[in-house]
Amino acid sequence: MRNVRIINGIPATKSRYGSHYGERVIEIGGEKYREWIPWRSKLSALILKGHEIEFRGDERVLYLGASTGTTLSHLADVIDEGVIYAVEYSAKPFIKLLELAKERENVIPLLYDASKPWLYSGIVEKVDFIYQDVAQRNQVGILKANADFFLKNDGSFLLMVKAKSIDSTAEPKEVFDAVVEKISRDFSILETGSLEPYHKDHIFILGVKI
Amino acid sequence: MPYKLWFGVFEDELKLAEKFEDSFVNAVNEKPIPFNVAELGIKVLGREYYRTLRRVAIGVAEKRIREELSSDERYIISLVKALESVEEIINVLKEKEEDLEANAIGEKFLEAIENMKELRDEIEREIDVVMAKIAPNLYEVAGAKLGAKLIEKFGGIKKLAFASSNKIQIIGAERSLYKAIARMKRGKDAKIPKHGIIFLHGFVRNLPKKKRGKMARFLASKISIAAKIDYFRGELDEGLFESVKRRFEELRREK
Ligand SMILES: C[S@@+](CC[C@H](N)C(=O)[O-])C[C@H]1O[C@@H](n2cnc3c(N)ncnc32)[C@H](O)[C@@H]1O
Repeated sequence: MRNVRIINGIPATKSRYGSHYGERVIEIGGEKYREWIPWRSKLSALILKGHEIEFRGDERVLYLGASTGTTLSHLADVIDEGVIYAVEYSAKPFIKLLELAKERENVIPLLYDASKPWLYSGIVEKVDFIYQDVAQRNQVGILKANADFFLKNDGSFLLMVKAKSIDSTAEPKEVFDAVVEKISRDFSILETGSLEPYHKDHIFILGVKI
Repeated sequence: MPYKLWFGVFEDELKLAEKFEDSFVNAVNEKPIPFNVAELGIKVLGREYYRTLRRVAIGVAEKRIREELSSDERYIISLVKALESVEEIINVLKEKEEDLEANAIGEKFLEAIENMKELRDEIEREIDVVMAKIAPNLYEVAGAKLGAKLIEKFGGIKKLAFASSNKIQIIGAERSLYKAIARMKRGKDAKIPKHGIIFLHGFVRNLPKKKRGKMARFLASKISIAAKIDYFRGELDEGLFESVKRRFEELRREK
């Protein structure tokens, strides 16, 4: 991935900025890299497990479920010439997210409920990519609604699915199969994979809008 | 149809807003906008487009955060109080229904009970939604309902976060605690309660009686940590629930 390299077995992003959540900053050949710990970030786990997602660096991205901005901070390093609209509905983690937004010119912080995209429909532009990590029961509905509002045709999405948040008693495998089936009704799925051992009972789904 | 954008309203032509903070919060459209908001915006605001958008977004969010933090908590406390009242009403109605069963009016009571149960379920669903948002760690470790009840009993997430885990373990059982202490003062035997409302948690309830105290103590300590993380950071710690589950399974297997 652009601006990413594996240092001592752990991904890191080339960054002009300092540490955001306590991660180490490593200097190599005059460049600064922020260590991207796979246990802290599902996207880092995905990279470490050998999956590839290509970015040009100037994409328009909609990030749903940004929390305190851990993964977002790295994605902002990757898409350093683009714009990321970061949606999070909980006020507490948003405080930390705001710190990041004040530092990074390419992050637009939005305190909204991602299941109500109409509320920010006049703010967010058409995007190339949706990153969604909301750990919610209705996450497929959230993806669909946001894709309808904002995702360009041919635009892609990456969805992080946590089995327990959809059904805490069912077998994870069954939950994942059901989610994949539901998503494939509206999107075309490119790849799915597990995020074990870094994130227990989590999978990712990469797809495009057709 | 007018399109409401964060920098103004577009209908045939653009009417630029006087205050972007106002147009930003009003940028609500029922349906997707058929053109690209940023393309139009850049035509109007030029190179300053993203910088302005970011400044407005940060300003609006800063104001809203402060309001939301306190209103969400007040809301959850009101919901818990409402839930407890509705549960009480259901019990009273059930009693009266039994008295009047044989009469035609008994039917009316059954209907009322059904309505109240629907209301109760609705309140519980709302508690679930709000708890997942404002206290994700309590939500996982204690569960939505117990977590919300604890917030209500302690009078807020902050107070719960600073409470001792002993207090968390027995809150809701104060009456039997005081009784036990009084008995002991008189030199009599007494049982100190091992759990208060924490007993609502499946991991405590579903263990044999003699193991419940241990589970309640462990759970209370994890609830205390969950409340602290929710209060200070508000970010989910995936490991917390796993450790509670492990302890439960250990205790269940133990002879
Ligand atoms: C697993 S965390 C995200 C972690 C983050 N993506 C990272 O890797 O740094 C899920 C987040 O989604 C948020 N969330 C859940 N439902 C949401 C919704 N409907 N709208 C906005 N945010 C939501 C939660 O508040 C929580 O902060």
